[in-house]
Amino acid sequence: MQTINLMEKGIGYLETVLDFYSGSCSYLMLYILCLVYIAIKGSDRDREIFFPSGIFLMLTAYNPIAPLILNKFFDVNNEYYRFFWIAPLVILIPYVVSEIIFDKELKAKRSLIIVLMAALFLFSGDFLYKNGIRLAENIYKMPSELIEISEKIHKDADEEYPKVFLEYEYNMQMRQYDPKILLTVDREDYLYAATNLFTEEMLKDETHPQYKIIAALIKYQYVHPEEFKKAMEETHTEYVVLDKNNLMNDFIVAAGAKKVDETEGRNIYKYPLKEKADFELVDYSVVY
Amino acid sequence: MIIGAGVLFNFILYLAFGSLILYGKKKKSSLLQRIVIGFFAYYTLFFFFCVPIMKYYRPLSMLSGIWCAVVAVILLLSLILNLKGWIEDIRDIFGTVKSSKLFFLLFMLLIIVQIILTVCIYNFTLDAAFYVAGVSTNVDTNMINVYDPFTGAWQDHFEMRYFFATYPVQDAVICQLSGISPLIWTKSVMTVTIVILTNMVYYLLAKSLTGNDKKKMLLSLFLIFIFNITFNTIYTASTFLMTRTYEGKAIVGNLALLVIFYIFILMNNSESLKRPWLSLFLVCFGASTISSTANMLVPVEMTVLFLPLIFRKKTYKELAGYILCILPGVILALTYVLYVKGYFVFYTFPK
Repeated sequence: MQTINLMEKGIGYLETVLDFYSGSCSYLMLYILCLVYIAIKGSDRDREIFFPSGIFLMLTAYNPIAPLILNKFFDVNNEYYRFFWIAPLVILIPYVVSEIIFDKELKAKRSLIIVLMAALFLFSGDFLYKNGIRLAENIYKMPSELIEISEKIHKDADEEYPKVFLEYEYNMQMRQYDPKILLTVDREDYLYAATNLFTEEMLKDETHPQYKIIAALIKYQYVHPEEFKKAMEETHTEYVVLDKNNLMNDFIVAAGAKKVDETEGRNIYKYPLKEKADFELVDYSVVY
Repeated sequence: MIIGAGVLFNFILYLAFGSLILYGKKKKSSLLQRIVIGFFAYYTLFFFFCVPIMKYYRPLSMLSGIWCAVVAVILLLSLILNLKGWIEDIRDIFGTVKSSKLFFLLFMLLIIVQIILTVCIYNFTLDAAFYVAGVSTNVDTNMINVYDPFTGAWQDHFEMRYFFATYPVQDAVICQLSGISPLIWTKSVMTVTIVILTNMVYYLLAKSLTGNDKKKMLLSLFLIFIFNITFNTIYTASTFLMTRTYEGKAIVGNLALLVIFYIFILMNNSESLKRPWLSLFLVCFGASTISSTANMLVPVEMTVLFLPLIFRKKTYKELAGYILCILPGVILALTYVLYVKGYFVFYTFPK
C-alpha cells in the first residue's frame, strides 16, 4: 500500500487501508454480521471463542488511533493491512453459514436458506480467476521465452556471469531461474519507474547511472546518446534484451549495440563495452 | 514425481519433529496436530543452526552438511520412539476414512483442486524476485544472503529485515542437497506442502467447532475454499494463499495465525492437547523464522486471544507462557528497529 501515506491520512488512514484491503468484497461486513449472529444465537462456547478477540481487535489493532501510535516505533505504512489477517474471517463465516443451513429449527426452509447463502457468497466476493487463467508453460513456472533468452546469452557470453538489462517482467523473473545472470536494474528502481518519470536531477545523478538506461529504454525519456553510452559503461551492461515492439530498438543499435540473437518476441543485443565487468564470487576461504 | 517425493519427504520430517515434541505414551496427540506442530518446530530448530553460520559468512554447504546430520539424528530418534505409534496412526487413518468415505473423498477432491490451481497456474509476483531469487542465489554462490538476489551484486552487510527469516535458506539447503531446482522446490513442492498443511488446519478447526459433524464440516471446508478464491484483492491472506503460497508471508497469514487460533480453541474448550504452551511457543517462534511479518502479527493475535482467556479462566500462571510466546516476535521486531536506527550492522566480511 505504497500509495497511502499514514502521515497525510492521519486518523482516516485505517479507513483507507480497509477500503483497499476489502476492494469490492463485503466479507468484513459478513464477519461483523456473523459476530452478531454468534452474540445472539451462538452457544456460550462460540461466544467465548469469537467474541472477546473480535472486540479486543476492534479496540486495539482496528482502532484508527493504533496505526498512528505504532508508526512512532515501526514504519507500518506499507504493511498495516496485514493486521486484518488476524480476524478469523475464513473460519467464522463458513462456520456460521453451515450452522444456519443445518439449523434444525430452520429445516423446513433449508432450500431457501441455501439459495440465500449462495447468493450472499456470490455477491460478497470477487472471483480470483474472473479474467481467465494462464497455465504455467513449464515445470519452472517461468515463460519459456525467458529460459530461451538465458540460454542464448550464456551461449554468446565469454563470462560466467554476464550483466544484462531486461524489461520489467523478465527483470523480476530472470534471477529466479538463472542466478548466473547479473542484472543492471534492481527491483526498487523498476518499481519507481512503473509509476514515475525520472526527474532531471535523477538523470544527472552520477551514483545511479542505471536511471539513464531505464529512462531511455523503458520510459522513452530523452537521454543524450553519449550519456546513455556512459551509463552502459559505468553499469558494465553487456547485454540488452528488448521487446520487438519497444520503440528504442533503433536507439540501442545507434548507440553501438549489435543484435546477437533473438526469440519470437525479443531482440538480444550485445553492447561493446570498453571495460568488461570483472565479476567473481568473493573468496571467503581466505577469511578462515 | 519429484514434486510428490518432495512433499512426502517434507511430511515425514514434520511428523518426526512433531512426534518428538508431543511425545507421550498416555495422552496421545492426533497425527495432524503432530505434523502441524512439527512444521513449526522444524523451522524453529533450523533457525538456531542457520543464524550463526550465516552471521559468520560460512558457506551454505557447511549449513547443509550440519543440518543433514541434525535431521538424520532426529529422524532416527523419532523413528525409534514413535514407529509403533505411527503404525497405529496409519491403522487409525484407514479406520477413520472407512467410516466416512464420502466425506474424505470430497475433502481430498477439494485439496486436489486447490493444488491444481496453485501449482499449474502462472503467477507473476514481485516478491518472488526476492524470495525465489534469494534461494537460487544462495545455491549458486554457496553462500547465505551475501549476494543481492535482485541483481546478483555482492552486499557488504546483511539486510536485517530478512536476516532472521531463515525459511528461504532452508529451501536453499534442500535444493543444494537434493539438486532440485529452486523454482521447482519453492513454487511446486512447498506450494503443495503449504496447501495441504493449511487444509489440515481447516479440518482440525472445522472438526473442533462443529463437534465432528461431518455434514457441517464438509460444508464449512467447501465454503472456506470458496472464500479463498473469492476474497480477492492483492492484500488478503486468501489471495496470498492461492497465488503466492510459497512465500513466508502467506504461511504466516494462512497457517501460523490459524494454528494459534486452533490451539486457543482447544485451550478454551479444555480439550486435550499435549504441551499446549510448548506447542504455542514453537508456532510463534517458528512463524517469526518464516517471515518477519509474524513479528508484528503473532504478538497481537496472542494478546487478543489469550489475555481475555487467561483472565476469564483466572489461570494467571499461564501469563508466563503467554509472555514467552510473544517474546520472540517482540525481540526480533525491536532488533530490527535498532538496526534501522543505526545502532548496529552485521557485515558480510570481517571488520
